[in-house]
Parts: sequence; structure tokens; C-alpha cells
Amino acid sequence: MKRGFRIPNLGGATALIVHRPHGVVAAIARQLTAIGVNAVDCWPDLPSDALAADFLFFDADLGHDAQFPWAPGAAPMPAIALIGSEAPGRIEWALNQNADAHLLKPVGNAGVYSALLIARRAFDARKRLDAEIVDLRNRVAERHTIVQAVTLLASRGLDDEQAYAQLRALAMSWQISMEDAARRVVAWSKEGTAGDRTDIA
Amino acid sequence: MLLSNACRDGALAAIEDINADPASPIEIIAVERDPQGNIDRYAPLCEDILTNSSACHVVGCITSWSRKEAIPVVEKHSGTLWYTCPYEGFEANDRVVYTHACPNQHLVPLIGWVARRYGPNGFLLGSNYIWGWETNRVARDLIADAGGEVLGERYLALGDTDVARLIDEIRATRPSFILNNLIGPSSYAFLEAYAALGREDRFFTPESCPLLSCNLTEAELPALNGVADGHLVVGPYFRKAAEANGWPLAGKRRCASSFEAAAYTAVAILADVLATAHGSRQADLQAAFSGRRFASPYGTVSVDPRTQHMALPVVIGRIAGPDVEALEITPSVAPDPYLSRYDRTLTFGRQTLRVVS
Repeated sequence: MKRGFRIPNLGGATALIVHRPHGVVAAIARQLTAIGVNAVDCWPDLPSDALAADFLFFDADLGHDAQFPWAPGAAPMPAIALIGSEAPGRIEWALNQNADAHLLKPVGNAGVYSALLIARRAFDARKRLDAEIVDLRNRVAERHTIVQAVTLLASRGLDDEQAYAQLRALAMSWQISMEDAARRVVAWSKEGTAGDRTDIA
Repeated sequence: MLLSNACRDGALAAIEDINADPASPIEIIAVERDPQGNIDRYAPLCEDILTNSSACHVVGCITSWSRKEAIPVVEKHSGTLWYTCPYEGFEANDRVVYTHACPNQHLVPLIGWVARRYGPNGFLLGSNYIWGWETNRVARDLIADAGGEVLGERYLALGDTDVARLIDEIRATRPSFILNNLIGPSSYAFLEAYAALGREDRFFTPESCPLLSCNLTEAELPALNGVADGHLVVGPYFRKAAEANGWPLAGKRRCASSFEAAAYTAVAILADVLATAHGSRQADLQAAFSGRRFASPYGTVSVDPRTQHMALPVVIGRIAGPDVEALEITPSVAPDPYLSRYDRTLTFGRQTLRVVS
């Protein structure tokens, strides 16, 4: 029986609560402590080790970009917005921070645990997708290089399909991507060193 | 029914003892409401107690389903629920005091103990509601950590006694153990059918493939007529272990089961807290629990002010007729309702690396 998502053990993690001193801080800290997460509250400035925290709770009502030692939306940990006023401008600001989950104020006896789990999952998925998109973009950008490499290989007496198959075979034997193999073929051709090689056509 | 009677007996015995104690500065008056197991009656009756009587502490609820029905009502009226049954954890409401075991005090030590002796492959059973779902979810993770496999996971509707299919699947998969989170009539029907299977096929005896339970106690064993004999249970209290180890009596009596002991303890701690709260009926529980220890049928215990769960003994035992024989006793295990201090190596020992091909 396979399951996709195992509930992570949150014991020993640290959560920053960026909110002015208020009952909401005590309510969140109490729930975090029961869960086994260390709560660190701060306002308005973040402590110097903020980057090492595992979770971020931030005030959507009074928060502003300059508080955070990272670009808007680039928090290096899952971020949970604490929303009091549902003023659209403040929600928009919280969304620009890339909030992964939110809690409505006032915070009662529950909600923190599910917010932590949802934020963790959303953050991880976002990071994974970001990395995948960067990789795919790079590959799209290399399409032109592949066309060049195939043309070069074809100029040695292969038809297009054979040339493409050869590029793939080269990438496999060099254990690199097609794009990297194409770049290598094009570079050698420019340097005029391809002629000495017996492994490319 | 047997469980709610056991809890009621424990609570009423504690009230009787407190009211009979000439040194006690308070008198407790019980206001009783019986939802008769009807899930839709818990919230209204709880509301009735908190608004139409002067009571602001409610001792009760058996299933997690009913507890989750009652919690919004105690929150709304700033009451307190004293919950006296083993449950699946992952909750720490500051309007609830939990006086029975959570998973690090029942399931985790039991699976750890059993996996080392019987093997790590489990078959998981449950009644179709939160206790079964959540306990089996934790069990899946534990079995994976033990290096075992979940060979099946099946649920029956509350009250369903048609267990033939479960028995067939267990027979086909031959697990190392079976975790039984069925409750009430479903559990009784299964225990009986499993005993019959054991007579047909000697693999399915308690000695080779035991049934595990985190909530079966002396409150239900007499009704089982011995069909559960030899199978394994875990709990903070069993009558024979308490007797053998000289644990305190509940007043003049010995509690018959952990359900009774947990309810007795809840009322005893409540009385202690109210007696020191100088007439206020709304005690500041976190302050009252901080640094305090309380006498109880479990021995001297403390309540963790952060989670309002108790540090409790863990007794792993084997069922023998109407009783449980203790196999291993850990005198006090701190509560960890979110399993945030769970350590795979402590539970299952260091694993040797296996070749994976």
C-alpha cells in the first residue's frame, strides 16, 4: 500500500510569528508548543537567524515588505498569513508574499496544525514546480542548439532521423542531456575539432 | 455501553469519595445527561448542562466522534471537557483535559513491543470513524519504520458484524499480527470468528499471530467469555497490575478498568483544582497543572500544562479470562499527542541495512 504524503513529524521545528504583541501570538504559540514546534515571536524586525526558521506566520494586517530579509514572495520557508481584516489590498499583499496557507484572526484553540501541514505541502510543491520550470525553460532555450547539432551530424552523410538518433545515442553514452550533448557537438564543430573524432559519425 | 458505564462508575465513585471526605472544602453535585450513544445528542445535551445548570465541567464522551461534537459547545461556553478514554491523539484543545492515553502511550509502545517479538507485518482493522482511521494511519507509518508491510487495511461500519471477508483476507495474507481497532459488536464478532479460525488453522493462535488492541479492558472482557484469551493489549492501568504493584486504591475501591480509573482521576484532579481555586468555578487549568502532582489510581501523576494530557504508566498485557496479565510496565510516560518526540530507533531498535535489488 503506497501513500503519497506521509504526515511529517514537526517535533523540534522552529516557527517565527511576525506579529505585534497580541492575544493571537499567545494562541498560536500555545498550539505550536503542544505540537512540539518552538515558537519565536518578533515585531517589527525579524531576528538575524530568521532564514533558518522552518515556518513563518506573518501578519497580513500590518506587515510590509521591508520587514523581511528576502524579496517579496521569496520566503525560504512555508509562510502562513494571519488575516484579520479581509480588505482586498491586504489579501493582495499577503498573496504577493506567496502565502502557502492562512489563519483567520482571532485564532482560537485549533487551526495551527492543519495550517502547518497545508503550508508545508504547498511550499514543497511550489519549490518542486519552480525547479522543474527552470529546467524546462533551459531545455526550450536549447532547441536551436539541437537543430544545429542535428544539421551538423547530418552533413556527414546521415539523414535527419539518423542524425537525431545519433545525437541521442551520444547523450546516453556521455550520460548527459540531449541539450548538453548538442552544445558539445556544436562547440567542437566551431573549434574544428570534430573532424578528428571517430565517435561522431 | 460497557465503556460508558465504566466511566460513569469511576466519576460517581470519585464524587462520592470527595463528598464523604470531611477535609474536602468542596462538594460536587453531578448533573447527568445520557445521549445514549446517539451522535446528534452530544452537542445539545452538553449545551443544556452548560447553560441550564451551574455546572461548567463536563466529564464524558466515549468516541472521538462524540468528543469532537462536544468541543465546540464547551469552547462557546468556556466550559471544560474532561475526556477519559484512550484516543488517537493529534489534538490538544485548551478546553479539554485528557486523562487516558494518547498514541505514544498506547499504540507506539505496543507496536514496538510486538514487532520485535512477532515480526513487523501487520493487518489493520477498524470501525469506520476517526479512531480507526487515525490509529491505523499512525500504525501504517510505524509498520513502515519497523521494516514491515501492511498486508491489509479494512473497515467495518459501526455495529456491522459481518466479519467473514476479513477473516478470509487475514487467512490469505498471514500477517505477523493484527491491529484490532474495531469497537463494540464488530469487535466482539471478529474476536469470536478469529478464535474459530485459530481452531482450524494453528497459525492463527495468540502465540503465533496475536490480535492487538489499545482500548480493550476489563470493562469488556467478562462479556467475551474467553474468546480474546492470550491476545495483547496496552493501557495505562489494568486491575491485576495495579493490585500486584500496590497502586493506590480509588477511595476504598480498586478500579476495575482503566476507563473507570481515568474517570475517577479526572474528577479527583478537578476537585483538587477547584479546592485550590478559592471558590472560582472557572479554574485557570494551565496554572493549576503547572508543577503539580496529583494522587490517582494510576499512582501519583502530573498533567502537562502545555497539552493537558497526563503522564501515565504504560502496561503491555496479555488477556486471561476477565483479566489482563502484565507483561511489561513502564511507570510513567510523558504525553506526546502529536508524536513530535517519536524516535524510530528508540521504538524499533537500530535496523540493519538490507540489500535491495
